Amino acid sequence: MALSFRYAQLPNGLDIIAETNPDSYSIALGFFVKTGSRDEDPSVHGVSHFLEHMMFKGSAKYTWEDVNRIFDEMGARYNAYTTQELTSYYANVLPEFTEVALEHLSHLLRPALRTEDFLTEKKVILEEIAMYLDDPGHRLYESLMESHFGSHPLSRSILGSPEAIARLQQPQMAEYFTRRYGPGSMVLVATGMLDFDRLIALAEKYCGSWPTVNAPRQDIQPVCTSHQRKMSDPKLNRLYTMAMTPAPSAQDERRFAARVLSDVIGDCDGSRFYWAMVDNAIAESAELSFYPHDGCGSYYLSLVTDPDRGQQALDIGLKELRKVRADLNADEVDRAKNKMASSLVLQGEVPMGRLYTLGGQWIYNKEYRSLEQDMSTLLSITPRSLHDLIDQFPFDPMTVVTLGPAE
Amino acid sequence: MAQRYFQQTFTNGMTLLGEHMPAMQSMAMTFVLPAGSSTDPADAQGCASVLSDLVLRGAGARDSRQLTDYLDSLGLQRSGNVGVHHTRFGCAALAARVMDGLRVYADIIRRPHLPSAGFDSARDLALQALEGVEDEPRQKLMIQLRQRHFPEPYGRNSMGRKEHLEKLDLARCKADYAQRYNPRGSFLAFAGNLDFAALVDLVQELFGDWQPIPEPTIVMSPPPGNYHHEHQKSEQTNIGIAYPCIPETHEDYYAARMAVEILGGGTSSRLFTEVREKRGLVYGISASYGSLKDCGSIMGFAGTSNDRAQATLDAFLAELRRLSAGVTADELDRAKIGLKASTIMSSESTSARCGAIAHDFFMRGRIRTLEQVKQAIDETTLQHVNDYLRRNVPGPFTIVTVGPRELSLPKLS
Repeated sequence: MALSFRYAQLPNGLDIIAETNPDSYSIALGFFVKTGSRDEDPSVHGVSHFLEHMMFKGSAKYTWEDVNRIFDEMGARYNAYTTQELTSYYANVLPEFTEVALEHLSHLLRPALRTEDFLTEKKVILEEIAMYLDDPGHRLYESLMESHFGSHPLSRSILGSPEAIARLQQPQMAEYFTRRYGPGSMVLVATGMLDFDRLIALAEKYCGSWPTVNAPRQDIQPVCTSHQRKMSDPKLNRLYTMAMTPAPSAQDERRFAARVLSDVIGDCDGSRFYWAMVDNAIAESAELSFYPHDGCGSYYLSLVTDPDRGQQALDIGLKELRKVRADLNADEVDRAKNKMASSLVLQGEVPMGRLYTLGGQWIYNKEYRSLEQDMSTLLSITPRSLHDLIDQFPFDPMTVVTLGPAE
Repeated sequence: MAQRYFQQTFTNGMTLLGEHMPAMQSMAMTFVLPAGSSTDPADAQGCASVLSDLVLRGAGARDSRQLTDYLDSLGLQRSGNVGVHHTRFGCAALAARVMDGLRVYADIIRRPHLPSAGFDSARDLALQALEGVEDEPRQKLMIQLRQRHFPEPYGRNSMGRKEHLEKLDLARCKADYAQRYNPRGSFLAFAGNLDFAALVDLVQELFGDWQPIPEPTIVMSPPPGNYHHEHQKSEQTNIGIAYPCIPETHEDYYAARMAVEILGGGTSSRLFTEVREKRGLVYGISASYGSLKDCGSIMGFAGTSNDRAQATLDAFLAELRRLSAGVTADELDRAKIGLKASTIMSSESTSARCGAIAHDFFMRGRIRTLEQVKQAIDETTLQHVNDYLRRNVPGPFTIVTVGPRELSLPKLS
């Protein structure tokens, strides 16, 4: 499998990056925009995600019915997502639909934001919020982010509250779009079976007239303190425990080591957490994950237990975090690396797998890393790398939140 | 051109399947055993799930820790699940590692330790998983919907029943293991960078002397159907609607499949357009075809605010009724291209192809090539689909709602 990288930039500043795979049967295309919930003024909380929905409601030339019909006419697997820091619109199609897919993705990025559609889609957003309110894990995660990040913009939920969404007006959304969406804040990514020179020509045709934007991101560091918060809901059966503590950022070269370390400690199978609490059924699930952000990062701990075993499980988890520096062994590091290496290979064989990676890496670092580079960096990680990492990010301070049935 | 698809059955009844994908570095494997929820002992439902955990807690010369560590050292991305018909163990990694891993899976399947302490933990985890369902209204809905729609034992929850799991003991598990982990009815599928001749030799070496025993028979009995409301204080009401459909092996299958795509597949589907886009009643809404052996179904889902649940149910049922009047040529064209594109794009993934050939073999007794699938899709005409819809009016419906208030059903003519 020979993946090759190409880069170009349009005169208006739109970056175009592509990784061709001549063995693919499809092409994946995506616009990645450097904007998310952390870039919102509190008065428009939820606008990034609501806007993401509104992008599918048509442009000057097309209605929402046209958009849905045309993407289905391509047999496209397409969707979008909003995080705290980026928004992505993508489509995976057979190569013969490359031009029409790019044409219509580019139309998505120039939305009409019609008021009638805005009012209807507001109801859909409220339904989505209601759906997540019925998910205790999601509810607790939002509380965790709020508690951990405090006054930092990462504390805000992506969906917004029902009140904030109800208050949101179309002109506010239009202003946010105009200010934050454009060449200068986005990248067009393509992976799979593609002709890059043709792609540049198509991008010029459909995106060349877009005005450049300059949409900076507030660069502040979170101030984290150790604290706990307990929440209760008598309707629940299980106890959910989550914790967050500082980790390397998406720019930090230690982020690869952080991924390995979080897998060693808290991968869903074969990790320290697994043997300490899942194998013996103290916890139903016990995981540690690494979440890099722009300029900061977090380790995220999550436990699900019987209500009366939560404290026991948390104590075990914290004990593992305290002792890993002293008794980390080479074998467990190798095992985590081998699993991650497999994951890289499998992801690399599918155009969509590489699309997410390329888009994210460009938005955060304006950098392309090949599969070989990622593999090489992974394989270079040693127990010493992880010791250094733990010394610099010692799982402290830590925010802990719980949600369960009891007061 | 090198042969792409392979199939070989051994004398003990076990079948080996393969799809060679020479451009790939990876290989995916799935081992399918005839131990699904439908053949759980009637008074020990959930036994297959407990076993699927327990067999991993030590096998052959390796104890639980050594086993997991070795599989991790091979870098195998692993999965295990219990469905209606089968227990499945799957893995994917670089091809050579998967071959190494097969030796370990032979131990897991044929020589598991089934340790006593491990049993207690596996059973505890199974009980905890059941407790967790109460906090997940959508999961709860789908379990109830399946239970009420499918004939027993197809409708069973593979997670089991609390009272059965509480009474389960290790001796029972061991007896069940001996009964159902059986080469007859088992099959092993690989997709990726494979050498089929080498696989045949390896499987012969590892499983050639595995003795078959008769498969258990299933006694079917009709389901309750109708409408059931499950009370839950939640922000949304979750609605599930199921009705019977022809099985996958029926000559009208692609007509039915296209009709379901048009009903609730993509964003230009009827349900998405009428219930979400035009009315904003839902975020999540879908309908899909479900495939069990000799038993097809259409399963629909919608999640909606409690005060709009009645309107959502009414709109959903109205779309089901409207389908009988037929679909348009444009709708059919979109359904066809969607299914073809999906089929072609899935052939980029060794895991997806592995699952597809395993499924084909179980349902049809043979692997269909991508070309055969594309041809079957292309050959489906508008007349065929509309004739099928006229002859097969949606229904009888099983409806389940989970939420704070029961709904009322409109008169269904």
